[in-house]
Parts: sequence; C-alpha cells; structure tokens
Amino acid sequence: MQSPGVIDDYVGRLARKLDFDRSMCRRVCREVQDHLRDAAAADEPADVAAAERRAVANFGDADAVAAQFAIISLAKRSRTMSSASIVGIAAVFIAMKGRVAWYATVAETAGSNLKSIAGIVGSIDRYTFWFSVIAGIGCWLYIGSRPFPSAFDSVFRKQLDRLFLASMVMIAALMTSVFSDGVLTAVRFSDTGFSTGFLVPIFSMAIEIVCVGLLALHIRETARRTARIAALLNA
Amino acid sequence: MEGEILKGHLDMIVLAALSAGPAHGYAVIEEIRRRSGGAFDLPEGTVYPVLHRLEQAGLLTSRWVTADSGRRRRVYGVTKRGDRALAERREVWEKFSEAIGALLGGTGPCKAPA
Repeated sequence: MQSPGVIDDYVGRLARKLDFDRSMCRRVCREVQDHLRDAAAADEPADVAAAERRAVANFGDADAVAAQFAIISLAKRSRTMSSASIVGIAAVFIAMKGRVAWYATVAETAGSNLKSIAGIVGSIDRYTFWFSVIAGIGCWLYIGSRPFPSAFDSVFRKQLDRLFLASMVMIAALMTSVFSDGVLTAVRFSDTGFSTGFLVPIFSMAIEIVCVGLLALHIRETARRTARIAALLNA
Repeated sequence: MEGEILKGHLDMIVLAALSAGPAHGYAVIEEIRRRSGGAFDLPEGTVYPVLHRLEQAGLLTSRWVTADSGRRRRVYGVTKRGDRALAERREVWEKFSEAIGALLGGTGPCKAPA
C-alpha cells in the first residue's frame, strides 16, 4: 500500500527534528514508517488516506516523539564522550611511551644546557598527564554509574554540567601535557640538531596532537548537540 | 491522568509485553493493548523511545529481520538483565499494589479522640 503522502510527511518532519543524530534518525524513521504502514494497513482498507491520517494521529505529535529520542541521543553521546576520553588518553600514553622507548634505544638524552628547563617541563608534563587520566576515568565512572535518563530534567542537566566541567578540565590538562611533550621534543632538537632519526618523535608527537584535537572536537560537538537538544526540548 | 500514571510504569509494561518473546514495535503495542484489555491505549509514539532507551540500558536487544512480506523490521527481545529488572519491578509493583489495595479497601477513617 503506497502512501499518498501523510505518512511520508510525518516521517519527514520527524527526520528534520532528529537530524542532529544521523544514525539514530535513519533507524527511528525506518521503524516509525514501518509502524505507520502496519497501522494503516490494519485499519479501513477502503480509504487509504483516512487510515493513514488515523495512524499518524494515534502515533502522537512528531515534536514530542523527537524530544524523547533527543534525550536518548544525548545520554548515548555523553557516554560515548567519556569512553572516547579514555581511548584518547590511552592513545596519547602509548605515543608518549613509544617516544621515550625510542630515546632509550638510541641512547638520546637532553643536552646539559637545557636540562633544567627539561626537568621543569617534564614535571609539568607528568603531573598534567596523570591529572587528565584521573579526570578522564572520573568522567567515565561518573556517567557510567548514572541510570539511563528518561527525561531532560534537572537531575540529567546537572549530570551533563558536571560531565562537561570534568571533561573541560581533563582536555585542558591533556593539552598542557601534549604541549609540554612538544617543548621537550623541541629542546632535544635544539640540542642535537635535526636528523632523520627525529622523524620517530615527530611522528609520535603528531599522533598525540591528532588524538587531543579529535577529543576536543568530540567534546565541543557534544556540547553543541546538548545546546541544540535543550532548545528542541524547551521549544 | 491515566496517561501520567502509565508514563511512570512504561518500562515495566514494555518489558512485560516482550517477556513472551521477541517482537517488533507495532506488535509490542498490540500486545500491550491486548493484555490490558484495551485499558492501556497509549499514544503509540511513546513506546518507541522506551524501546530504544531500554536497549541502551542493556535491558533489551534488537536486530533487523526480514518478514515474510519482504519488509525489514526491527525486532526487540529481553536480555537476561532485562528479565532480572522485570522481576524486580514486578516485586516492587506487587508490594505497592497490595499496600494501595489495603489502604483503599481497608478500615474507615480514624475517629477523633474524645
């Protein structure tokens, strides 16, 4: 039974409301379309248009349905963000340890002229990195231990606020750590001069920068999505 | 008012409807209507967010299956965790129901002390 348009219009409206989460949007629209066609088929077969209008009316307001899915999308995204933070920090750690191992292999040490600077920057690097680890694990444990929300209420808003705050602290600490790594690498360059062997630390630095950049973008995108969804729910 | 009361118990209602076996969204709604004797006539769109939420919470699992008609449908089934959650909610509900029943059908109002 092909729709004269009522079901397609409804699904199209729902899709526009859910376009902030494409994978969810595709799945939901498919399920809703199937449901509405089943409901219309089970109704009066003589008047297709009226059956489809009834199916759509029984399904409920598209805005209200989209709002419910928006909460699920946001909860899912916040959990993904905390998991991505752990993965990002682990990737930075591996790149960092890889570089240190390479320095050990080639018996590379910082020159005596810049040893004091390297010592200070190295401390900053170490403390900020481990601070980001604690903040990242804290985010992951915090959001993972909360029940899946069913409403965009004050409890869920508070959870998101805390998560964003901890995520901002985590990413700031991680950025500082990676920046310190960059300074330490540059110190070694300035001491020994550039050689092809330095491609390894440069490559590991590139991995760290990309990981931190992607993580920062992910957090920013989650914050933007939260703002959009809040606007949708308050509309 | 009935809708508001139902909203608070939608998770349990959907889990109970799926406890008989895996089903797609439309069949879940039909099952709720049938088992409640038509008393729970929810706006159908409220059930799909519940299905997705319960799936995210690990209480349901879902997969696409192709029906005899050739149409692909998303079919939901209860996980072991979902079974446990339903058993817990059923127990809570039974206690609550008994207490309300006793309260409403129980003794008359207390007499004021003389």
